[in-house]
This record gives sequence, C-alpha cells and structure tokens, in this order.
Amino acid sequence: MNFSDPSTLLVLVPLVPLAAAVLTVALGRVLGRRSWLPAVAGIGAAFVCAVMLLSGMAREVTGVGHDQPARPVEFVTTLWEWAGVDAAGMSGAAPQAFSIPVSLRLDPLTATLLVIITGVGLLVAIYSIGYMHGDPGEPRFFALVSAFVFSMSMLVAASNFLLVYVFWEAVGACSYLLIGFWFSKSAAAQAAKKAFLVNRVGDFGLAVATFLLWMTYGTLNFHDSVAADGTLVPGILGATRLADASAYAGGAVGTAICLLFLLAACGKSAQLPLHVWLPDAMEGPTPASSLIHAATMVTAGIYLVARTAPLFVACPGALTLVSIVGATTALVAALIGTVQNDLKRVLAYSTISQLGYMFASLGTGTLLGFTAAIFHLVTHAFFKALLFMGAGSVMHAMGGVIDMRRFGGLRRIMPVTAATFLAGALALAGVAPFAGFFSKDEILAALHSRGWADAHADHHEGLPADGHAAAAAVFRLVSSPTDAARISAGPRASTLDALDTPATFRLLFWMSLVTAALTAFYTFRAVFMTFTGPTRVPEEAGHHAHESPPSMTVPLAILAVLSAVSGWWLFSTHSLATFLAATPSFTAPAVAASATPAVFHWDLAIQGTLAAALGIVVAALGHLGRRSDGPQPERFLGPLATLFANRMYFDQVYAALIVKPLQVIALIAAFVDRHLVDGLVDLVARVPLGLGGVVRHLQSGIVQRYALAGVIGALLIVLAVVARAMG
Amino acid sequence: MNATSLDTFALIAPELVLVLAALVIYLGGAFAGLRSGWLVALAAIVTAMLVAQGRGTGVSAGVTLDGFSSFIRWTTLASGLLLALVMAGDLFVAAASRGPGLRRGGTCEEAGTFLILLAGLSLVGAAGDLVLLFAGLELVSIPTYILLGLKRTDARGQEASLKYFFLSLIASALFLYAVVCLYGLGGSTDLGAIAARIRAESTGRTVQALLPLAIGLGVVGAAFRLAAVPMHFYAPDVYEGTSPGNAALLSTLPKVAGIVVLARIISTVGSSASPELLWRVVAGLAAVTMTVGNVMALWQTNLRRLLACSSIAHSGYLLVGIAAAAAGPAAAPGLLSAGGLPATLFYLATYAVATIGIFGALAYLGHRWPEWTAGGGARPPRHEIADVDDLDGLSGTNPVAAFAMAVFLLSLAGIPPLPGFWGKLSLAVSALDVDAGAAIVSGSRRAWFVGLAVVLVLNAAIAAAYYLRIIAAMYFKTTKRGVQADGGLAAGVAMLACLALVGVLTLQPRALVAAASRAGEALIPLTPPATTLLAPDATLATGR
Repeated sequence: MNFSDPSTLLVLVPLVPLAAAVLTVALGRVLGRRSWLPAVAGIGAAFVCAVMLLSGMAREVTGVGHDQPARPVEFVTTLWEWAGVDAAGMSGAAPQAFSIPVSLRLDPLTATLLVIITGVGLLVAIYSIGYMHGDPGEPRFFALVSAFVFSMSMLVAASNFLLVYVFWEAVGACSYLLIGFWFSKSAAAQAAKKAFLVNRVGDFGLAVATFLLWMTYGTLNFHDSVAADGTLVPGILGATRLADASAYAGGAVGTAICLLFLLAACGKSAQLPLHVWLPDAMEGPTPASSLIHAATMVTAGIYLVARTAPLFVACPGALTLVSIVGATTALVAALIGTVQNDLKRVLAYSTISQLGYMFASLGTGTLLGFTAAIFHLVTHAFFKALLFMGAGSVMHAMGGVIDMRRFGGLRRIMPVTAATFLAGALALAGVAPFAGFFSKDEILAALHSRGWADAHADHHEGLPADGHAAAAAVFRLVSSPTDAARISAGPRASTLDALDTPATFRLLFWMSLVTAALTAFYTFRAVFMTFTGPTRVPEEAGHHAHESPPSMTVPLAILAVLSAVSGWWLFSTHSLATFLAATPSFTAPAVAASATPAVFHWDLAIQGTLAAALGIVVAALGHLGRRSDGPQPERFLGPLATLFANRMYFDQVYAALIVKPLQVIALIAAFVDRHLVDGLVDLVARVPLGLGGVVRHLQSGIVQRYALAGVIGALLIVLAVVARAMG
Repeated sequence: MNATSLDTFALIAPELVLVLAALVIYLGGAFAGLRSGWLVALAAIVTAMLVAQGRGTGVSAGVTLDGFSSFIRWTTLASGLLLALVMAGDLFVAAASRGPGLRRGGTCEEAGTFLILLAGLSLVGAAGDLVLLFAGLELVSIPTYILLGLKRTDARGQEASLKYFFLSLIASALFLYAVVCLYGLGGSTDLGAIAARIRAESTGRTVQALLPLAIGLGVVGAAFRLAAVPMHFYAPDVYEGTSPGNAALLSTLPKVAGIVVLARIISTVGSSASPELLWRVVAGLAAVTMTVGNVMALWQTNLRRLLACSSIAHSGYLLVGIAAAAAGPAAAPGLLSAGGLPATLFYLATYAVATIGIFGALAYLGHRWPEWTAGGGARPPRHEIADVDDLDGLSGTNPVAAFAMAVFLLSLAGIPPLPGFWGKLSLAVSALDVDAGAAIVSGSRRAWFVGLAVVLVLNAAIAAAYYLRIIAAMYFKTTKRGVQADGGLAAGVAMLACLALVGVLTLQPRALVAAASRAGEALIPLTPPATTLLAPDATLATGR
C-alpha cells in the first residue's frame, strides 16, 4: 500500500458499511436468516481498512523523537464540492464565498477512532448473530448497525463542521431507531422519544455554534483550502491558523462557541444536565447499547471537544467548565449507580460517569489531558462494550430478565460470561494492570497537574524542564488577561475565566478520586449480585438457562483480553499519547507547549488503587456470596439511598420544571393556534384558493374560448410592448 | 454533394441517426410488433448519444453547434431515453391486454414519430437561422399531434389531441408573424446578421416599430410551448385526456423548445438599445404564470390535471430566469449576463428529471384503458390512477414507487437538499443579482426583480401545499383498494433511473450547474461573473 495517498482506504471505511446497510435493506427477504452477512462482512472490511490506515498513519508519525514537539500530520481528500455560493451572492460587509466540500480527513485522532468504531462494531455485529437470532426485525437491526458505523465513521472523518453536523444528526437518528427497535413496547418507544428530544437541545447548540463559526471564521472547513480566486482560506483547524496563537476568538464570541459545543457534547455524551436519556436508552437491544450507548456514539462529544481543542484553549473559562461538568457528572452518576438494581442501568450510569471522567480530563487543556481523555475513550470502549455484552449474555440466558435481585450465582451456569465480565469489571474499577487503571491514572494526573502545579514539580526532580510546572506556566501565559491586547483586538477574557484556578482543579481531583472508589463499589456490587451467592434463575429462563453460543462468547473473550492488556500496552510504550500528539488540533502552541515527559505517577497510582480497593472491599462486605434479593446493605444510607434510587429526581424535576410548564404552554398555544392563528392562516390560504376558484372558471374546456383568451392575451402583450416602446 | 453540406451533415449526425431509425421503424412497422419499434427507438437514442459524444463546435448552413446547442441536445437525448422507457412501459400494457378496441401493431409508428420529435427538438437547439428554427419547432409540434392522436381512441383522448392541435396552430401562426418581423428587421434569416443589424440601427424607425411586435409575438409563441399564460389553458385538459407517457412528454420536451426560443430571442434582440421591453414582458408573464398555475393546482383532485397546473407553475419559475437573463445583472445598456440563462437551464433539467419520474411512476403503477376492459367480462376492476385519492396508502402497497414519488414531489416543491431546491435557489439568486447593490426604488429594475424573487418564494410555499397533499395521501391514508403495478417494467426502470438521477443531483449538483453555465455563456456572452452556484473545485491536501 502506498501511504502517500490513503484516500481510497479512507473512503472505503464509511462506504462499505453503507453499502452493507443498503444491501441488507434491499435483500432483507432473500437473505432470511443470514441477514447478518452484509453487516459482518462490510464492517469487517471497514475494520481492515481502518487498521491499515492506522498503521500507515503510525509510520507517518514515528521518526520524531519523544522530546521534540510533535509536527501535525493530516491528510485531507475532497471528494466533491457539495454546494457553494459565490461571494457575489452574499450580502454583508465582507462577503465570503460559501462552499461545502465533502472532505474526509485522516489524522491520528481520526485513525484511532476509526479503528475503535469499526473494531467494536465488528465484534458487536458478530455478537448480534447469536443475540438477535430469531428476532423478526433482524434485517432491520443489522441494516441500522451498518448505517450507524457508516455515520459514525463519517462523523470522525469529516473535515467540515457542516458535515460534522449532518453526521452528528445521522448517528442520533440511528440511535433513535435502535433505542426504539422494539417499538411496539411502550417503554422502548418512550425511551426513543426521550433520547430524541433531549438530544435536540444539544443539537441546537451545535447548529448555533456552526453559525457562529461561519460568522467568526468565514469558513467551516477544518483544513486550509484554496478559494475560487486562488487565495488561501485558512481552515478553522488548518495549519495556517494553528501556527498563530492569536487566530482563535476568545472573549464573548469564543466562549459562546465553546459553550455551545459543550451543550452539544452534553446532549450526545449524556452529561449533566442532559444525561437523563441514556439510562432509558437501555430499552434498545443490548448489542446496540453496547456499540452506540457505551463504546462509540456517546463519545462523539469527547471527540468534538478534543477536535476543537484550540478553540477551547483560547477560552479558559469554558474549558474549565468542561472539567467541572465532567467531574460533577462523574460523581453524580456514580452515586446513582450505587443503588440501581437493573444490571444494564448500572452500566448506563457507569458510562455517564466514565464519560464525565473524559470531560474532566479534556477540561484541563493540557496535552496530557487531551490524550488521556482519548486513551480512556479507547480503553472504555473495550471494557464497557465487554460489560454490556456480558450483561446481554446474562439477559439472553435469563429469558430477558435483567433485574439483579432475581438471579444470582450465575458463574456456575455461565462461566465464560462470568470470567469475561470480571475482566471488564476489574478494568472499569481501575485495578492494575487492567486497562482502566492506566487511563484513569492519566486522567487523575492531568487534573492533579493543574491543581498542584507548583507543589507537584517536586515529584519529578531530576527531569529536565519539569512538565507539570511548564504546562501550568504556559497555560497561565496564554490565558492571562494581561496578554489580551497582543492576542486579539477584541476582548479576550470572559467572566467565566474566573473559574480557572488551581483550587477548582484541586476540588475536581478529589471528586474524581471519590468517584473512582464509588465506581469500584458499584461495579463489584453488580459482579457479586449477579455471579456469586446461591444459584438462582428466574422462571422466565425456564429450564434451559445456559451459557451463550460461541458467536457471543468469542467477542466477549476478545474484548476481555483487550480490557486486560490494552492499557498496559498503550501506556508502557507510550505509543498512543505520542501518536495522538501529532493530531493537528493538539499541535496548537498552547496545547503542544504543555507536553509533559512520559512518567508513571506512583503517588497517584497508589491513591487510585487504594480508592478502588476500598470500593471493592465495601462491595464484598455487602454482597459477596449473599442472596441478591435480600435486604440491601445500602439501606443504611437512609434517605440518601432513596434519593439515589430515584436517580436524584432528575426526571421528576424536569417534569415539574420543563415538561409540565411546556405542556401548559402547549395547551394555551394549541388553543390560540386553533382559534386565532388557524383563522388567520385559513384566511391567508383562502386567497390563493379563492384566486384559483376564479381562474378555474376560465378553464371551461371549450377550445374556442381558450383560443380567444390566448389571442386576447397575445394582443394585450403586444399592445403593452408597443405602447411602452412608443411612449 | 459539396463540402459544406457534408460539414452540415457531420454537425447534425446524431439527429440524422434518429431520423434514419424513424424511417426504419416506419418501414418495418408493417412487419414487426410494437415492442420491436420501441427497442429500435431506444437503440437509436443510445446510438445518437454515442455519436454526439465529443462532437466539437461548428457553424454551417444555419446550424450552429456550440455549448448551448449541445446542452439542449443532451437534455433532449437524455429525457428522450427516459420518456421512451415511460412510453414503452405504456405499450407493454397494451400488448398484454387483449380487449376490444385495441389495434395491435398500429401504434408501432409511435416510436418512429417520437424519434422525429427528438430530432426536431435537437435541431431547434442548434438553429442559428430563422427558417431552421421554425422548421424545427414544427418538427416538434406535428409529431406531438400524431402521438396525442394515436394514443387514445376514446372521446376524451380525441378531444385532448384536437384541442392541442388547434391551439398549437394559433401559436405557430403568431410565432410566424414574429419570424416575419425579424426578417423584415434584419433582411436576413440568419440570427447573427439580424442581431448585428438591430444593434447598428437600434434607433432607426423600422426597428422602433417592428421590434416590439416581434418581441411580443415571439414571447406568445414560446408561451404556448411552455404552457405559460396566456397560452396555458390547454394543459389541464390535454394532460387529463392522454396517457401518462404523453403527459410526461408534453410537460418536458415542448418546454425545452420554448426556453430555446426565448433564449434565442434574447440573444438576438436583447442587445438592442431597449432590452427592457423584453424583460418586463417576461417578468410579468413569469409572475402571472406561476401564480395562476399554483392557485389552479390547489383545486385539482385529478392527479394529471394537478400535475398539468404544476407544470404551468414551473414554466413561471423558468421565466424568472429568462427575465433575469434578458435584464442582465450589469447596469450598462446593451450588456447581458448569462446569470439567468444557466439558472433556467439547470432548473429545466432538474424539473424534467422529477416530472418524468412522476409520470414514469404513474405509468408503472398501471392503468387499463376503459375501452379495453369494457367488454372484457370477467376482467378485474379498472385500476386507472386518476385522482389523488387513488394513491391512498401507496406506501403500504408499493413502497418503492411511493418513496420515489415522494422524492420527486419534494424536489418539485423545492425542499432542500433535493435538486429542485438548488434550481429554485439559483433562479431566485439570478433575479436578485440583477442590479445587485442598487437601491430598491419603486419601478426600478432592482425593485421588479426583488419583487419577482419574492413572488417565486411565495409560490413555492403555495405549491408545497398540493405536493404535500399527494405525499400525505400516499403515506398517511389507508388504502381503499390495491394498486396494480402492471404498467410495465420499462416505466418502472425509468422511474428508478430518475430517482438515481435525483440522488446524483442532490449530492453533486455542481456538474450540471457547470454544464448549464457553459451552455448559457455560449449563447449570451458573460459580462462580469455573475452569481451562480459555482466555485471551482478547491481540493487541497495539506500535511507534512
């Protein structure tokens, strides 16, 4: 393969799953029981292409020493110009040509995510062969999964904010259709509607952010492009703009764009206050939850913030808010997760919590923070997909029952599921050497470096130029208000910037550490309730509760191995961080300057491990070997337990504050609409209708009249023209 | 045969292929069935396309082959191919049913007549000479009479074909007066020579007296082909009375001819000192035509009458671009911009694809002529799709056709990102481009065209009402009776081909926009670059 032109492979990654989706729809009846064939083959082929792209990209990146600043590596291929309007047609003071190229890009960030999307997608598709077997909607399921892989690949490969928006909506549509897959079930239909509506709030943010980007930067492209007249149009994340620290808007506009991005990310990635849709989304088929609502789609928000890192770094207040939202969500979701009895809901809250971790990490604004977030995204994709598929395997065997109080001791019935689930749980809890341990450690380090920048310097005595201190120093330099005049003519600072203090990050660090302990607790509570204690199966399972077929257990085993070793492998070689550092967005001066040497943070590792151990021990004391349907040890929390069990009343508060008032307004609006607006509209509508009624009568069907009317019309025209010419 | 006529034959080789194939069909019609006739016709159109491929430009004996005429030729051949499939699909039904009143084999000549029509239309596009232009127009009209007459033998069909015949004669006569005026002005039948003469003597008394007459009568002549006010009356009656294939033909090919005539008039007389005569007439007709078409369509319950009204409205939209082309964005007198013409040509193509697609779908969904089933005894009930109601619940019984219809209708309504939207956008922009930047003063060109753009957008909103009503019938109503899709496979293929074309134009409208731009500029040279939907491909790979 000649890597100098990866465009063919880059196009194939989304194209083959799309073809698979179309094929599945077209051949649904012909394929019958084998409707999984196009999806598995298509996503498999896409995975092979993605791996080839990743290895080629890795070869491009390596060759740079670790101590040297990373050079940006990107490849952009423009397939075609979708539409455009020349500058001449634009109004305004400085009209710019508006064009929407269909451009795909490849850089380390995209390459990494493409492999995750297609890889997890492939495993989920294989797993679904067994899981969806016999479901009447099987072809629809596989078509939707293929369509999702297509949309998600396009989302991370698009090099234009409008395309990002298009595929942001497309993955949302796939998610909606998969949550409501069993639409005849009322809960599923309700959950799909809820996910749709809550996501609209976030999508609205992305739309407005796109408008603001166009107004501010005059382009929507990530990359530099050449305009019609040959001038260079610096893309928003192109090399030209990245090289110039003052090229990104700060102040009110910049902060507004970043906050709108954050809103969009909160919707898609289920962060406070828009997290309420994700737990309900578990009504969909478990493989879909695993792929979309755990491993890939919900990380779109992480991708968006990481991709737009230079914009966020220019607005320190918004960036800090990302961390605050993330860490708060992580803590709140973990607290709610501690008392849930639905296995899939525990995992859903865990997903929300882990995504919160990633946001907390992104919000540090350092290179370590960004790469740690993506590192955690990768390991989380492995172990959370594994946990969901394990839960699906349990649900499959238990005849659709997923309430942990109704079964127990399943390790004897389903040993493979139990072992692989345990591997995933260890990774999620952050137990060394499982994957989650390393990525969580990096995140804690990123938070710690911002909270204790100066004190922390002592930990790395002997290193040339201390990374943490340098990071903080550079960061302060960039964000300091005294620098404002140099960077941009407009006001740089926004009132939000006051949030950006070490004290904030210290608090966030402690919150994250508490979350780590809670994570270990609820994870092992679920493990103990499900797999230990006396063996019990619900009556729905009948007499044939058994281990799942190989098509389900093999993907579990593969993911278990990945959950066990990927963290150590990616961390010890430091390959992922180095690789990601070459992503153009992360080579912005303010980000790149915060690069730190690769070190293992012993102090943080010990703190993290202690937290995890504490959680596991408490879970073991409460649940190990007990019947899961007995009185729960969490009841000693008293009213707090009730609060958490009711999910902190988010749904009820939203119902009271938003849904009910909206319903009242809707009732009023409906009344006004029916009696006032409709009357006016009907009046307006009667005008063309009435006009038509008049004109219609000329349509007598008598040819002589037609001819007469035509000739009279001709005479009138000629007379008018002649009169005009003479007069 | 001397060198010049050989050159001419070389220029019109694709048209010659069509005419020769038509002769073969006429001769062989005595021996072969009607399906072979359409097969020969399809092969002839494909051959003509192959022959037309890569043909250069040239001028010889009144034939002017340039970017404009080759755009018209390709539009003709491409719509011809699709229309032939739709019409052959009709005939497939005829072959399958054996009822009284069907003259088997008698319609084989249809295919040949259709080819003659295509050749005529292609020649209209290439005509640089008044006589050739008029001859070409008649070569379009006369086969149309024959096709309308051959197609149906019931009273309504005969009525439709006679109505079309009489009114078309009047229009041709009026247009002939315009031709005579132009000849009198220029002293030549060559359009270039006439244009030069008009430019030279633009203040002369002859020009002052005859030019308005020529413009007025020429526009009326074109209006009949476009089904624009005041020559629009025939459309609902004729569409209702004929077959879907013929209705598809009527709603596309004559419109192409009408647009060519108007474009030729602009390029010939537009450079005179008083071009505002032309744009005022056309702009006024545009506003009236689209409004009349749309408000009439609101009342229709019969599907083909509705589509006829809608085709009137679309002629109004097309005239917006023609008016803009006649006015031109440049303020300097005598200067024209191609801004409006490319928009018109682009819109024409997107409209043709969607319209042929709709009629293809209607033909595919099948109908049996009343007289064929009348005496059949135990035949199934009639399944002619006449009213909008007949499409109720189509999404359940025939989801592919319902989806295709919905896409075509949404494109006609101008819903983004379908091609009809890009077309309406470019038309509106071409109107807004006229005197762009000038103040909007009452009575000024800018005011006229801003007003025209507003009327266009309002009309698009009105039109959405009746297009969406059809979609609502297909998707939200339950079916009263099943629709028999026995209209023939060929029509189904045409429908799917149109759907694919709509898909391509949705994702990649720029190739067609670029072709339309080249075509427009070939006829009316461009002054400053006007707004189009264009920007050169800015492909860039950065890195390292």
